[in-house]
Amino acid sequence: MPDSVLSLENVVKTYGDFTAVDGISLNIPKGSIYGFLGPNGAGKTTTIRMILDIVKPSSGTISILGNPSALDVRNRIGYLPEEKGLYKKMKVWAVIQYFAMLKGMKKKQARDQAHRLLEKYGLKDFAESKVEALSKGMGQKVQVLSAVAHEPELVILDEPFSGLDPINQSVLEELINDMASNGQTVIFSTHVMQHAERLCDHILLITKGKKVFDGTIKQAKATLSRRVIVATKNDINLLNQLSGIDSITGTDSGFLNEWQLDISDSFDPQEILRFCAEKNIGLSRFEFTEPSLHDVFVHLVGDEAREHQFR
Amino acid sequence: MRMIWLIASREYLENVRTKGFWITILIFPVIFIGIYFLQSVLSDAAPTRYYLLIDQSGKYEQAVDVAIERNHQRRILQAFVQYLLDNRVETDFELTAANASSAADQFVDDVDANQVAALDEWLSNGGLDFALVMATPYLKKDSPPFEQSENQFILADLPSDIDTSAAPADIVEALRPYLTGRKLIDSGEDSGPLFALILIPENVDQSISRPNTAPQAPNPNSGIQYWASNLTDSRLPDAIASSINAEIREQEYEKLELNTELVRNIQRTRMPLNQLDPSAAAGEEAVSMADTFRQFAPIGFVYLMFISLMQNVQYLLSNTIEEKSNRIIEVLLASVTAGELMMGKLVGIGFAGLTTIAVWLLSFYLFITLYNSSETELIAQILEVILSSDLIPWFVFYYFAGYALYSGVFLAIGSLCNTLKEAQAMMTPMIMIQLIPIATMFFIVLDPNNTLVRIMSWFPLFTPYVMMNRSAANPPLVDVIGTTIVLIASIALVLWMSGKIFKHGVLRTGQPPKIVELFRLFRSPK
Repeated sequence: MPDSVLSLENVVKTYGDFTAVDGISLNIPKGSIYGFLGPNGAGKTTTIRMILDIVKPSSGTISILGNPSALDVRNRIGYLPEEKGLYKKMKVWAVIQYFAMLKGMKKKQARDQAHRLLEKYGLKDFAESKVEALSKGMGQKVQVLSAVAHEPELVILDEPFSGLDPINQSVLEELINDMASNGQTVIFSTHVMQHAERLCDHILLITKGKKVFDGTIKQAKATLSRRVIVATKNDINLLNQLSGIDSITGTDSGFLNEWQLDISDSFDPQEILRFCAEKNIGLSRFEFTEPSLHDVFVHLVGDEAREHQFR
Repeated sequence: MRMIWLIASREYLENVRTKGFWITILIFPVIFIGIYFLQSVLSDAAPTRYYLLIDQSGKYEQAVDVAIERNHQRRILQAFVQYLLDNRVETDFELTAANASSAADQFVDDVDANQVAALDEWLSNGGLDFALVMATPYLKKDSPPFEQSENQFILADLPSDIDTSAAPADIVEALRPYLTGRKLIDSGEDSGPLFALILIPENVDQSISRPNTAPQAPNPNSGIQYWASNLTDSRLPDAIASSINAEIREQEYEKLELNTELVRNIQRTRMPLNQLDPSAAAGEEAVSMADTFRQFAPIGFVYLMFISLMQNVQYLLSNTIEEKSNRIIEVLLASVTAGELMMGKLVGIGFAGLTTIAVWLLSFYLFITLYNSSETELIAQILEVILSSDLIPWFVFYYFAGYALYSGVFLAIGSLCNTLKEAQAMMTPMIMIQLIPIATMFFIVLDPNNTLVRIMSWFPLFTPYVMMNRSAANPPLVDVIGTTIVLIASIALVLWMSGKIFKHGVLRTGQPPKIVELFRLFRSPK
């Protein structure tokens, strides 16, 4: 694939008897926003570290920006690790400048860029503060800025949203969108499905080191059947007469007479309304929704995700 | 290379900006200068001390007076020598201070007991003024006038209720409150605690010991009794003992009808002993004070090395642990290689350490140049001796070698630990190892080519310290070359190993690895 910025071919990482990443292959097209989704311990961070050549894969090949090792092209990559931290005693602008210089930027250019970014993303007043004076969320924003200040072609953010309040989460979303529209490729990992749903073109879903899904959001949702939620006091089983309804199950909302109807792809949900009017089935709720990414996640990852579904 | 430089300059600047760095830099000169001034203040501020003399034998009162007078004269003459040295115009002759001061001591010693009074009279009649006039052409124009100090030991008034003919034990009992400071004793207008009681019992002569008689068991009640609470200031008892001994010998001469004048002159004959150095060039064999300083100078270098290395490796350790616990290391490793990161740290912190040493030496230099006195002049001369010797290249080499070796070890420790607390437990044995050459540095300098010392030199962790310590004694060439090869090989090995550990250790969280794991790490190709 000529437009691929990153491809993994059957990559495996084992630590002793434990297999952290088990044969992952993927291709990330240039200019896309790509989400790594999966429960804790799924192997996201290990995969990212292998992509960056911080740890070596046990087997498999990686090609990043046309090179076998990220170290050869490290100035074209920006990276935010999962666990965040900065030099506490340094000034905010100096931290961004330092990391940009480590990525090959000239001193003055790096300083100007630091001040520009701080102004653009609402941290202008803190430019001269020391990092230790910042709140956790602000510090994290500074760290994101320090990871992308050198305008890398490929940006890898490990859990960039954790610990941010809703307003700063949207600032970060704005930053990610800005970078994508600038032609940069962004990979980020997250637990929060809403961010992935809003931002990503493509997602990779892994659990226990194995890939369970790789593709667009639309394709992900297509893995789940379409569904209609209805609430009625009448006998729901009458609806079984409709041929497009595959199954009827109680919802997990806690209401006794609320039901989820899985419908086939070609079935028009309006048929249900028409049928109910005919058979005198009184509906107190009728909702035709697309499955959310959350549903896809729960469906694909199953029990693995239980501890994360309320995040 | 640019990355190493960038990391090094950040490490350097971060260190230099911390408070701890400046405290370390300043504390050394402050303590040094503080001790210097404190010492001179303490020695000038000798308080007046009251003593009582009860001579029941009636024979030795004059000898005690002579002793005290001699002590006083010695102080005045010493002060006068010091004054001349401080204010003289010529300063180019080597190490005069110590020579002049011992000459003055000898002069006072040579004055006969019956001439002490004459010397005293000469002093109190302005003899020193006369000497001062003679010295004036050699003194600076703006010299302050010389002030004679008061006698330090003053005879107190005997309290009226003391019976000097009572038994010695009773006298001591009566005077005990004065000696322990519970009562003050009068002396003319003033009063103060009684510093010493010199009690000479009536039958004191029976205690005189002579050669060729059976040695007597020590008996605290025989001889002269010197009672004082202050047990450390031995100047007065020493002076009294030697003065009374001189008096006794005088009596013996008279008893034998010897010419005492002749005996005294014989006693004053002297034969000089010159220490010579077989390795020095012809004509320069005489062991001067400068040579002695040169022999002892390595101790200073070893100590400086130890302090500076300890400071550096602490920085290195806490720095690595900060980056590790903050996970900054991960970002760094996505930007630079582990090797570059390690080298950058070593260089940056190494420079911070050099800055400390440079500031120390500079402040020391400024002190001896700006504050001009005979002592600082002495130090300046010592410094000149050291700087002109070949010790400096040794120091530079062993400093850098020691730094590379120990920082490699400590960097590996830092990269394996998550908290300073964890690191401290692993650090302690390393510090203990360094204490061995530090604790033995005085013995090593006295016997630098002893077999045990030679063996110690071959242990790489000791090499920088022990070889520096031996450097002034021209160690055998086989030791110098051999230990250097072993040292450089160990540095390469330690840096290679700690590079591996560093690369592996910085990304790990949780427990430090087991030995077996480390071993596997060294054998893995990458």
